[in-house]
Amino acid sequence: MSALLPYHKAILERIHDPATSDLLVLARGLGLRRIICTLMKIYESPQNLVLLVNATPEEESEIGEELGLMGCRKPGLRVLGYETVSKDRQDLYKKGGLVSVTSRILVVDMLQSDIPTHLITGIIVMHAEKVTALVLEAFIVRLYREKNKTGFLKAFTDQPEHITSGLSPLKNIMKELQLRKVHIYPRFQEDVKKSLERRRADVVELSQPLTESMADIHHAIIQCMSTTLSELKRSNTTLDLDDFNVDNAYFRSFDLVVRRQLDSVWHKVGPRTKQLVNDLGTLRRLLYYLLTYDPLHFHAYLETLIASNTTSASGGTKQHQSPWLLTDAAHIIFQVAKRRCYTVDSTTKVQLPAVIDLADDEAGWEALDEIENTASTSTTKGKEKETRPFWLPKGMDPVLEELPKWNLLAEILQEAEEEMLRQKALRKPITSVTPGTETVLVMASSTRTCSVLTEFLSSIDHDAPNGSKGRRMMLQKLRLYLWWKTKLAQRKQDGKSHFALPVVGGRVGDGFEKLYYGNGDYVSEALKKKDKEKAERAKSRRRVRGGAPAAPAPSQRDSSSKNDSHDSVMGAIQTEAESFAEFWESQAGGQGSSELPIELADDMISLDFESGAFEIDFDAHYGLLAPEQTVLVRAYSDDTDDRMLAEIRPKFIVMFEPNMEFIRRIEVYKSSNPGLAVRVYHMVYGGSCEEHKYLAGIRREKESFERLIKERGSMLLPLLEERRDGASDAVIKTISTRIGGGRRELNTQPSRVIVDMREFRSTLPSLLHASNLLVIPATLTVGDYIITPEICVERKSLSDLISSFNSGRLYTQCELMSVHYKTPMLLIEFEEDKAFTLDIVSDIKSYVKPTGKYPQKKKQGSTADSDHTAMLQSKICLLTLSFPRVRIIWSSSPYATTEIFKDLKTNNPEPDPAKAIAVGADDDTEAGAGINAAAEELLRCLPGINAKNIKHVMNRISTVRQLCEMDIFQVQDLLGVEPGKLCWEFMHRGETNR
Amino acid sequence: MSSSATNDPPVPPVVLGTGNNILINPLQRGNLVLDCIRNVGKEFGDIIADYQVGRTTGVLFLSLKYHRLHPEYVHIRVEKLGHSYTLRILLILCDITEHRDAIRELTKVCLINNITVLVAFSFEEAGHYLSTLKQFEHKPPDMIKERVDKDYNAILRTALTSISKVNKTDVETLRTSFGSFANIAKATPEQLRNLPGFGQIKVKNIKNTFEKPVRNNA
Repeated sequence: MSALLPYHKAILERIHDPATSDLLVLARGLGLRRIICTLMKIYESPQNLVLLVNATPEEESEIGEELGLMGCRKPGLRVLGYETVSKDRQDLYKKGGLVSVTSRILVVDMLQSDIPTHLITGIIVMHAEKVTALVLEAFIVRLYREKNKTGFLKAFTDQPEHITSGLSPLKNIMKELQLRKVHIYPRFQEDVKKSLERRRADVVELSQPLTESMADIHHAIIQCMSTTLSELKRSNTTLDLDDFNVDNAYFRSFDLVVRRQLDSVWHKVGPRTKQLVNDLGTLRRLLYYLLTYDPLHFHAYLETLIASNTTSASGGTKQHQSPWLLTDAAHIIFQVAKRRCYTVDSTTKVQLPAVIDLADDEAGWEALDEIENTASTSTTKGKEKETRPFWLPKGMDPVLEELPKWNLLAEILQEAEEEMLRQKALRKPITSVTPGTETVLVMASSTRTCSVLTEFLSSIDHDAPNGSKGRRMMLQKLRLYLWWKTKLAQRKQDGKSHFALPVVGGRVGDGFEKLYYGNGDYVSEALKKKDKEKAERAKSRRRVRGGAPAAPAPSQRDSSSKNDSHDSVMGAIQTEAESFAEFWESQAGGQGSSELPIELADDMISLDFESGAFEIDFDAHYGLLAPEQTVLVRAYSDDTDDRMLAEIRPKFIVMFEPNMEFIRRIEVYKSSNPGLAVRVYHMVYGGSCEEHKYLAGIRREKESFERLIKERGSMLLPLLEERRDGASDAVIKTISTRIGGGRRELNTQPSRVIVDMREFRSTLPSLLHASNLLVIPATLTVGDYIITPEICVERKSLSDLISSFNSGRLYTQCELMSVHYKTPMLLIEFEEDKAFTLDIVSDIKSYVKPTGKYPQKKKQGSTADSDHTAMLQSKICLLTLSFPRVRIIWSSSPYATTEIFKDLKTNNPEPDPAKAIAVGADDDTEAGAGINAAAEELLRCLPGINAKNIKHVMNRISTVRQLCEMDIFQVQDLLGVEPGKLCWEFMHRGETNR
Repeated sequence: MSSSATNDPPVPPVVLGTGNNILINPLQRGNLVLDCIRNVGKEFGDIIADYQVGRTTGVLFLSLKYHRLHPEYVHIRVEKLGHSYTLRILLILCDITEHRDAIRELTKVCLINNITVLVAFSFEEAGHYLSTLKQFEHKPPDMIKERVDKDYNAILRTALTSISKVNKTDVETLRTSFGSFANIAKATPEQLRNLPGFGQIKVKNIKNTFEKPVRNNA
């Protein structure tokens, strides 16, 4: 671990005092984790109990490791998860030290007094930017301060951009955390500046211009974005439009901003606006892919995009076309993207790339016939080009433009190598030990880019002219692409499962599909495409069958008329795919093209060794490769990069894509390693969105810091009021004038609500506590909240409601509640800031018909019934009819729920936790014990297991996996003969070696 | 709802019409909801409730806009309703933006008087509730009950999608990749992570479900 920089020390000096509580806002990349770890090391002692909350699992393990490196190993940071038994947790708390706890568990422990709250030395809160009144962390702080006034609370954040909620965002966070001091350290802070600018790194900025075709596409996408934006503005005049410009649209958070503005009226905005908002996301993604994907992948992505846009998910022609798809600019995108990959013209060269509008069918057929005739003769032509790979369909000319940065990278690496040799020659006589290793570190934005780069570097052809150094790789990719197209065609025919273009670098074989695309959206695109293709099929197939299936159908694709309908574009894709399919089949010579993937797969496996999954295998590689002369390709991640830099100690760093944080990391790295000559190559596509995005990112951060500093200057912090003792209130609440003169004893206990353990995921318990109710966590079998001995509430959010109606769970729950409680209640809770209406449901799940549709179905009386089944409102009706005693609470937000609960509690006695736990759990020997809710849910779905025997099953098995590994007799022993057989057969169906 | 609410008509006995129609209290004449009740017959009759949508089901209708002007109206009606039906419903039309306090108060009133609240957000929706209540009068609750007889794929889908973050596409991917449920349970995190659309969180959720103990004595 390298030494702390002066500004690190300055910060630590300010915040280390355990008597104060602070919030630290630090610019990203300046080593927040190092500060936290140092701080934790200071506090580490068995006499102290320091809790780390709100850390992600990755952060937990990274911090634990870093603390280990710093020398706190005994016992270091301990992590508490769900699997830790409550008794063990209590012991751990008592022993003290550093403990990282999941917020939900901590809340429950605090409420149940499993943790000695008054003895906690302090709490460290990560990601303070996410703290709002509704999150669990705020609840923790409230519980903590209730019993412990002396402990410290240190909150940290490095995301100043996210502190934006409300009028005074910083104040809100500080109020929730009950803090009074905030330290803000942007990059432009004096201390930071002084420390980092003493020794500057040797930075070579390289601005790579885009290729002509890329520039064309880039320009076209931007044009589409501004069209979409202005369209959006026009259709929604009520929006706050200040932030709506192309600059902001580069960021992912833009979607959120738009959504937040539209949320309260989301049920009223038309599908058109929704489409526009979606389109912006798609376009933004396109921009990013243009600069990072290789042309073939980019083209493939575009193809799926068109496909998914021409029809809706249900297969019919889509009503609302994305407007940008219809513009000229979009046409340019598609044409140019294809031209980057390959051009198709007839091999005879007699025929020029024919411009045939598909509307003009006859000409098309003629062209096809011509090709068919020439196809037989063209075999001789193949010999002309000896370099031409055998698998390339005739008539296809690979262009395979490479990303210009690849070349640049190759040059840089060469330069770095020469430089290294030079330095070696110079230094050898003096000293053989130089700081830093000979590793060249290449940083890219995603693991996907990383794998492409590694592949490129391993197959690089140094002698080739610029622009074709990666020809070999690109041909490989083209082959994959063609194979994908083939599959596309086949797949529709046998209606197989979905399929995505495989990425070299993804793992292959082992009997399972290795087709990973790195991007979830893509998969769903592909799925949608599949659906629509079925619909499309009839049309396009007819077109092809008439023509010559054996020959590639080339000319259609070059149809460049602008008024091409999407239909014809799709037709072209289809035709291509099918013709490729035929081609492959003839190539494989009866073997079936299914063998090809294996061949390809082998190639990929060998590549995989280098490129692999970086996150997982990083350490392994690290040990395997010799430190000299290696090129390491990694993706940007979070503060972990600091440690990576410190461990690799590279002298040459290539930043394949600009990244503000990483530049700072290099600054920190350089400053903490005096005497190390670091050279950084910083690559940017000049004049592209990449550059804009980078600059806009810097600007945004700076602005948000300025805003925070301004707010700190004028902030009025409220005096933190003491939590009122609920007792006085409770007395008034429970005295009822109806009860004759004090026959009943006054209830001096504070009002309480019993809450099911699983409900702590939601915000309601926190709010209940905030409104002076005593929240008692318990594992309940029946209901979620017990308000009074008679009232039992089952809470459902909208999405819960739909799913539990569908699964039938709600019925069972209502049944149980009706049996055990006098007043069972169903709470339908809407979200704060979201529209208070059920219509929004039609949005969440498309099968819930919007209310506007009733008039249509009323006309056909017989079909009306089937339509009804889909509707949420109808299901609610049926529920009320089936359970006349179940009351429904309609609550517009958790806040409203709290008020309603308090109302319902008035004049009623308090519930008894012991009784509540026992309810409905008579046969359960371990009532009240914690359960793995997800596992229970899963088990419940298995055939042979039902609400009646699930308890029994859960007592007998330890994990679900164990159940899966049992043989049929054990399962039958567990469930009974028939259900056991059912269950076992379900679990093992589809296995080959049964 | 209607303005004639205060002119108490003489309390009629519960009139059972032909049984096929929704019986409507004449007080409701002019209510826009009437146009939205479709697919079932309507007839006016002397009843205590506003709408009688079944032999044992009576519905009171209240627009929050009206409630704001005449807060006492609903109490009178509720009182008169007494215990007349097995299932008493208060159908609230939420047509104001400041609905929070009103709904809270009505929830309380209804709890005391054993009335179930339904909230509709438009006349269309309110009409739909009324007609559905009538149509479903004798319908068994199969639609919302747990269904057991499903095919293999459906069960697998329900089972696996019960794990949070797992969607139908993922189920399909899992099935084609691993073959059987038992094999999915045995899959290693690395294998899962290499599937399309599987991120760290999803993998973690799946692993937690299968391999964390079902009882943790927390």
